[in-house]
Amino acid sequence: MSAVARHRRQRQKFWGGFGYHAFGIGAALFFFAPFAWTGLASLRTGSEAQQPPLPPWPTQGVSFDTYAVLDTFGAGIWQHTLNSALVALATVVLTVIVSLLAGYGFSRYRFPLKNVFFVLIIATLMIPFQSILTPLFIILAKLGLNNSLVGLVLVYVTLQLPFSVFMMRNAFDAVPREIEEAARIDGARDLKLLVRVLLPLVMPGVATVAIFAFLNSWNEFLAALILLSDNDKYTLPVLMTAVRAGRLGAINWGAVQAGVMVMTIPCLAVFLILQRYYMRGLMAGAVK
Amino acid sequence: MTEGMRLRQVRKSFGPLEVIHGVDLVVGEGEFVVFVGPSGCGKSTLLRMIAGLEEVTDGDIEIGGKDVTDLDPSQRGIAMVFQSYALYPHMSVRENLGFGLSMANVPKAEIAAQVDAAAKILKIEPLLDRRPGQLSGGQRQRVAIGRAIVRKPQVFLFDEPLSNLDAELRVSMRIEIARLHRELGNTMVYVTHDQTEAMTLADKIVVLRDGVIEQVGTPREVYEHPANTFVAGFIGSPRMNLLDATVQGTGKVMVAGDEIEVPSIDTPNGENVTVGLRPEHLVLSLAAPGTLQATVDFCEYLGGTRYVYCQLADGQNLIAEQREGEDLAVNKVVYFAWKPSELRLFNPHGIKLV
Repeated sequence: MSAVARHRRQRQKFWGGFGYHAFGIGAALFFFAPFAWTGLASLRTGSEAQQPPLPPWPTQGVSFDTYAVLDTFGAGIWQHTLNSALVALATVVLTVIVSLLAGYGFSRYRFPLKNVFFVLIIATLMIPFQSILTPLFIILAKLGLNNSLVGLVLVYVTLQLPFSVFMMRNAFDAVPREIEEAARIDGARDLKLLVRVLLPLVMPGVATVAIFAFLNSWNEFLAALILLSDNDKYTLPVLMTAVRAGRLGAINWGAVQAGVMVMTIPCLAVFLILQRYYMRGLMAGAVK
Repeated sequence: MTEGMRLRQVRKSFGPLEVIHGVDLVVGEGEFVVFVGPSGCGKSTLLRMIAGLEEVTDGDIEIGGKDVTDLDPSQRGIAMVFQSYALYPHMSVRENLGFGLSMANVPKAEIAAQVDAAAKILKIEPLLDRRPGQLSGGQRQRVAIGRAIVRKPQVFLFDEPLSNLDAELRVSMRIEIARLHRELGNTMVYVTHDQTEAMTLADKIVVLRDGVIEQVGTPREVYEHPANTFVAGFIGSPRMNLLDATVQGTGKVMVAGDEIEVPSIDTPNGENVTVGLRPEHLVLSLAAPGTLQATVDFCEYLGGTRYVYCQLADGQNLIAEQREGEDLAVNKVVYFAWKPSELRLFNPHGIKLV
C-alpha cells in the first residue's frame, strides 16, 4: 500500500470515528437536557423560582430553598418519599419472587391446563385496570386493607404479575435444559438449583421485571389517589398533584421542579444499577 | 470381572407409548460400553435413565451392586458429559469443576485439590479462571469432562460428547477419552451414532433399535459376526451388502441368477435367505465367470481406496471396496469372488444362520 493511500485511509477512519462519536454525544445531550434543566432550575432561590424560566440555571447563587418549600407540603417530603420507597421496594420484591417461581413452573413443569392458565394470566393484560378500580376498592375495604400501603402493594403486584410471569417464563425457556440436568447430577436441588444455577442465568429477565415493577409502582397515581385517604400515607405522585395545584392559587414552580427531581433520581438510580444485568452474551459458553 | 452396572428388564413409557422394551444388560467394572443405534432407537433415553434424569417405568438399575433405580441423580455415583457441554456460563472453569463438590459440602481445601488434580489430567490448568464463554469448543468439552472427573464417579456417562466438535478435534478428543479411560479405569457408558467412535473406544458395543438391544459384543464380534441383518447393515461403512437369495440344495444358494456356495444349512429348498458380504471382502475381477456377476454403476475415488457401486442382474445393489486396479467404466461387467469364511447367511427373519 502506498503512503498516500494509507494516509487517505487513516483520514477516512478519523472522520468516520468523529461522526460516530459526535452523533452519540449529540444524542446523549439531547436526552440529558430535560434532567439538567429541571435539576438546575430546582437550585434557584425562592424568589428567582417565580421568574420566567430562561435562563434555566440559577443566576442569584445556588440554593436549596425550593426543596425546603417542598417539605412544607403534606406530611413532609421525607414521609412521602418513604411511603413511595416502601411501596415500590415491596412491589419489586414480591413481584420478582412470585414471577420467578411462576415463570419457572410454567417453563419447566408439565401440569394439566398449563397453557390455559398461562393464557388466562396474560389475558388479564387486556383489562384496563381503571375499570376494576371500584371492585378493587371494595375488595380491599372488605379485607381491611383500604387506606393502607400493604393494600396498595398487593394491588401493584397483581397488576405487575401478568407481564412479569410472561417475561420470566421466556427467560427460563431460554436456559438450556442440560444446564439444569448437569446441576441435578452435581447435587443441586430445588431452591439451591434455582438460586445457585438458574437465577444468575435469568438475571436479565429479573432485572427487567424489577425495573418495570419499580417504575410502575413508583410513578403510579390513580390507584394511590383512590385507595389511600390519609394525608400522611400519600405516595409522591399524589403529593406532587398537591404541589402542582399550589396554595391559594399560587403555584410554586421551584417546588414543582424540586419534586420532579426527588421523583426522578431514584428511577435513574434503579435503572443504572440494574442495567449491567442486561449485558449481552450472558449465556455464552453454556452450550455449543 | 466384578460388576459395574446392571440393567434388569428396564422399561420406559411416555404415556401409552413404550420406547424402551425391557432391556437387560450387564457391564463389568471398568468396561467401556458404547450404545449405538439409529436416531430414535432409545440410546440417549437409556443413558438418561441410568443417570436418573428420566424416570424408570419398570425394572431395576444397579450400579456397583447397589439398586439406584429410585435414587436422585447425585446419589448414584455417576457423572455425565453432555453433547452440549452444559457448563454453568456464569461460573469460572474452577467453579464449574468444583460445583458438585461444593454442593456436597466438601471442605474448600479439598475441592481446590481435586479441581487441580482434574485440571492436570486434562491439561486445562491455564484455563481455570476463565469463563466458558471465553473457551473454544474443544476446551469446553475438556471442562465438561473435568467436571465429571471431579465427582469421582463409579460410572461415567457420555451423551454424544463429540458431536459438536469439528472432524479434526473429534479425532483428538476421541483418543483423549480412550487415554482417560485407561488412566482412570472407571466404567464408562458412551452414547454415539458415530461408528468410528463406537468401534475404536468400546470394549463392548450395544446395538440398539427401537428400544430393544439387537446385539451385545466386542467391536470384533459385532463387526464380524453380526447377530442379524440389522446389525450387519448398521455396523460398518459402507454397509454390508445384504443380498436376497434362494436356497438351492445343500450348501448352494441362488443370487440374481448366479449360484454361489455357502456353508451347509438345513433350510428347505426354495426358502428365501439373505447373503451378507462386506464391501472390503469382495475381490473384483474382469474375467472370472462362475462367480457373482455385476455391472458397474459408478465409482467413488477416495484416495487410499475406491468404492465401486454395482448392480446385479436382478437390480439388487452391491458395493465393493477396491484398493488397487484400473478405473472402471460405467456399465462394465465385472465379477466378484470372496473367501467362503467371509460370507454371512441370515434366515428369512434376518437372524444369523450358523
